[in-house]
Amino acid sequence: MTLKECYAALGGDYDEAIGRLRSERLVQKFVLKFLDDGSYDLLCRSLEGGNQEEAFRAAHTIKGVCSNLAFTKLLDSSSRLTELLREGGGDPEEVGKLFEQVQEDYRRAAQAIQSFREEAEA
Amino acid sequence: MKNKTTRFLITSLIGVALLCVFVFAFFAIHMSHQSSRTINEVGTLYMSSMSQQISVHFESIINLRLEQLEVLADTIPSDEVHRNQALQEKLISGAEARDFSYLAFYHNDGTVEMLYGPQLTITDPEPFLESLRSDEKKAAIGTNPRGEKVVVLGVPSPHETTAEHDCAALVAGLPVTYISSNLSLEENSERAYSFIIRRDGSFVIRSNDAYRNNYFERVRVLYEDVNGMSAEQYLEELEEAMRTGRDYSNEFTMGGERYHLYCTCLPYSEWYLITFLPYGAMDTIVSGFSREWGTMTVVSAIVVLSALLLVFFKYFGLTRQQLREVEAARSAAEAAQKEAEHANRAKSEFLSNMSHDIRTPMNAIVGMTAIATANLKDSQQVQHCLKKITLSSKHLLGLINDVLDMSKIESGKMTLNMDQVSLREVVDGIVSICQPQVKAKQQQFDVFIHDISTEEVLCDSVRLNQVLLNLLSNAIKFTPEGGEIHMALGEEESPKGEGYVRVCIQVRDNGIGMSKEFMNHIFDSFAREDSARVHRTEGTGLGMAIAKFIVVDAMGGAIDVKSEQGKGTEFNVTLDLEKALTIEEDMILPNWNMLVVDDDRQLCESTVAALSSIGVNAEWTLDGESALTMVVQRHRRGDGYQIILLDWKLPGIDGIATARHIRQELGEDVPILLISAYDWGEIEAEAKSAGITGFISKPLFKSTLFNSLRQFAEGEQEEKEEKRRSEASRNLEGRRILVAEDNELNWEIAFELLSAEGLVLEWAENGQICVEKLLAAPAGYYDAVLMDVRMPVMGGYEATQVIRSLDHPDHDLPIIAMTADAFAEDVKRSLECGMNAHVAKPIDVREVMHLLDKYINA
Repeated sequence: MTLKECYAALGGDYDEAIGRLRSERLVQKFVLKFLDDGSYDLLCRSLEGGNQEEAFRAAHTIKGVCSNLAFTKLLDSSSRLTELLREGGGDPEEVGKLFEQVQEDYRRAAQAIQSFREEAEA
Repeated sequence: MKNKTTRFLITSLIGVALLCVFVFAFFAIHMSHQSSRTINEVGTLYMSSMSQQISVHFESIINLRLEQLEVLADTIPSDEVHRNQALQEKLISGAEARDFSYLAFYHNDGTVEMLYGPQLTITDPEPFLESLRSDEKKAAIGTNPRGEKVVVLGVPSPHETTAEHDCAALVAGLPVTYISSNLSLEENSERAYSFIIRRDGSFVIRSNDAYRNNYFERVRVLYEDVNGMSAEQYLEELEEAMRTGRDYSNEFTMGGERYHLYCTCLPYSEWYLITFLPYGAMDTIVSGFSREWGTMTVVSAIVVLSALLLVFFKYFGLTRQQLREVEAARSAAEAAQKEAEHANRAKSEFLSNMSHDIRTPMNAIVGMTAIATANLKDSQQVQHCLKKITLSSKHLLGLINDVLDMSKIESGKMTLNMDQVSLREVVDGIVSICQPQVKAKQQQFDVFIHDISTEEVLCDSVRLNQVLLNLLSNAIKFTPEGGEIHMALGEEESPKGEGYVRVCIQVRDNGIGMSKEFMNHIFDSFAREDSARVHRTEGTGLGMAIAKFIVVDAMGGAIDVKSEQGKGTEFNVTLDLEKALTIEEDMILPNWNMLVVDDDRQLCESTVAALSSIGVNAEWTLDGESALTMVVQRHRRGDGYQIILLDWKLPGIDGIATARHIRQELGEDVPILLISAYDWGEIEAEAKSAGITGFISKPLFKSTLFNSLRQFAEGEQEEKEEKRRSEASRNLEGRRILVAEDNELNWEIAFELLSAEGLVLEWAENGQICVEKLLAAPAGYYDAVLMDVRMPVMGGYEATQVIRSLDHPDHDLPIIAMTADAFAEDVKRSLECGMNAHVAKPIDVREVMHLLDKYINA
């Protein structure tokens, strides 16, 4: 699995990422690091614990990371969740729905990166 | 009205003139009459006094003589006189001494006893004798033997001379000449003359020229007119006057001259003195006076008349002038009324057209809605209806927009919204809008551009589009299926100066054209040629009026039209547009060798010119065969073309075939672009298989060429980008930037990217740490802060506010927000908190470097 294929699998824009970070090496480095980023865990924890503000900040961070890495699909869902959580508002049901979407997108991304890493290490 | 006034004026002029003439004539006649009457009176007075004078004179002479005679008679003793010889001698000597020419005794029986002088015969002795007998003195006339007239004076002297004769009187004679000379009857003859006649008309003393013995006879022969009477009548009157002893005066004309006559009785006699006074002198004076009077009258009449005429003509002129003015005002008012009526009619026609035009799509909408409602289940039917409704709505909207535009124009509210406009975008936009309509009517549509030096101009793109769309849609509308429509766009120098460029746009078709009459009205509001062939064509008739207003009145350009029925129509629009003040993007391509192949020479030349202006050496040719030859020749020289532009439709072998041949000769290396019609979908597959690299769409603006060709210069392009980036990097080499970012991944990305630009980066995991780091550092250690906004412990806004309030020399260092929030409120809030700028994630190195450069090296 190439990095490009990995991007296709996780719903990202490989060309954009290359355009911004300029080399495949860097893109690969940051993509692999994405799995270690704690923002997703923070988001899950905060939402479960009902900490709206923390959840917003976490979603916001995910959004920032995804935009830098051009993870288009996850960027989209996390952005929407960020806006929903902004100013502590948001209908819990809708938040739940969107969070599910974010979870799905994140899992998909994580899966793609995971398999890419395994192949790269192999 | 004019004739009436004129007639009145002329009539009154004639009337007043006639009145004037009449009054003056009346006065003249009256005065002349009056003057002649006055002269008559004067004449009569003069005459009578003169006659009286003469008669007094006569009386005194006669008296004197009679007294002398009396003295003589007194010397006679009363008895025996005639016997006394001595007495007789004494008497004779006395008479001689007194110049009497005769002396005699007159006897009672009528015999005369001559004492002295020749024998006398007394003419008409009876009355004479009678007077003497009754003891009166008397004068009479007699004749001597020679026939000469003698005045006889008698004094009663009653004594006996002889026995048989009683003496009655002493009579003495005097020659007539004595009397006449003493009376000065002849001296006056020039002006007046007198004579004495007896009652029977015989002359006692005659006037000079009278040779007859009797005055009456003379009158009968000579006198023409006596004051309107015949001579006989006059004589009767005269005799009557003599008989009764009255004075008589009259006037008459003799020998062409007027005379006054005066007749009076002389004392001591039966004689009558008649005096004539010729009016001659008086007449001269009077007629001079009359002439003068007449002249005066005529002159004053003329003066008054000419004054009248002058006044009349002045007034007439004034009246005419007024009439003319009134006439002019009236005709102006009529013209204005006609114009208003015309405009009104045009508006009514427009309204009726409009209501018809609006009703048609409205009917369609209503009808289709009804059909759709009735067939809700049949989705295909509903879709069909909706499609129709959409079309009709669009049409209706177009109509309403036109009407609104027109009313904006008419109320002067249409203003231009000037902005930078790319002519290429305008043309591309219009072409893509018109394409479907042209295709539907299977018309041939071509766009040519030539001599385009400036693509970016200042103009209202919406209005410019509107004008071009109006012209093009008219051309499409009025050109039958399969017709041709050309649009050409060119530029030339503007007379308005360096900063302007003149844009010439031509839209030409070979459609139905227009009649001459209609061409005169094409730019009028609400105009639409009303003939059967265009009756079906929809439209408001406002399009051209709007186009003209936009081009001519709003943009200060010109629009003109040439058309011939059945041959087609050509519109030319000329606009002087300001060149947009943009630094043209460095539109420079590598120094390639290019070949342009098109059968349109103009297109080739203009394209080659455009290419050379962006740094490309281009050559051109008109057909595929020669292109092939040129390509092969240069290839063999080792100086081949880097890029080839090929038209699809070429005489001889077409573009695709040419491309195939080139590929056979040159292989796959050289990009070949097909200059295509606007829609290349149909030929894409065939073209690709023939080895065409890509397509380039007409019209070939400089920017079109640049944008299509620069992909083939990518490598070189990147180099340039690199160069530019490194320039900013050089300025920021070694600068220390504090990055406040809670997310490690984001920090690493920023670190990687910005370190590569030569920056030194330090990381602060949140706002709190950021502030602490800054406080701990010496002055000028950090050059700037890149600040995330959402961070735990302390966010970016808060951290910025703290930094700005620090008592540290670097409290005002540049802080740039770098956040995933990119809303306008976020930007605003960042700046409000004291940050210098805001960049959104994802991180754009170029932008960040640019901003850092800007604020650090400010």
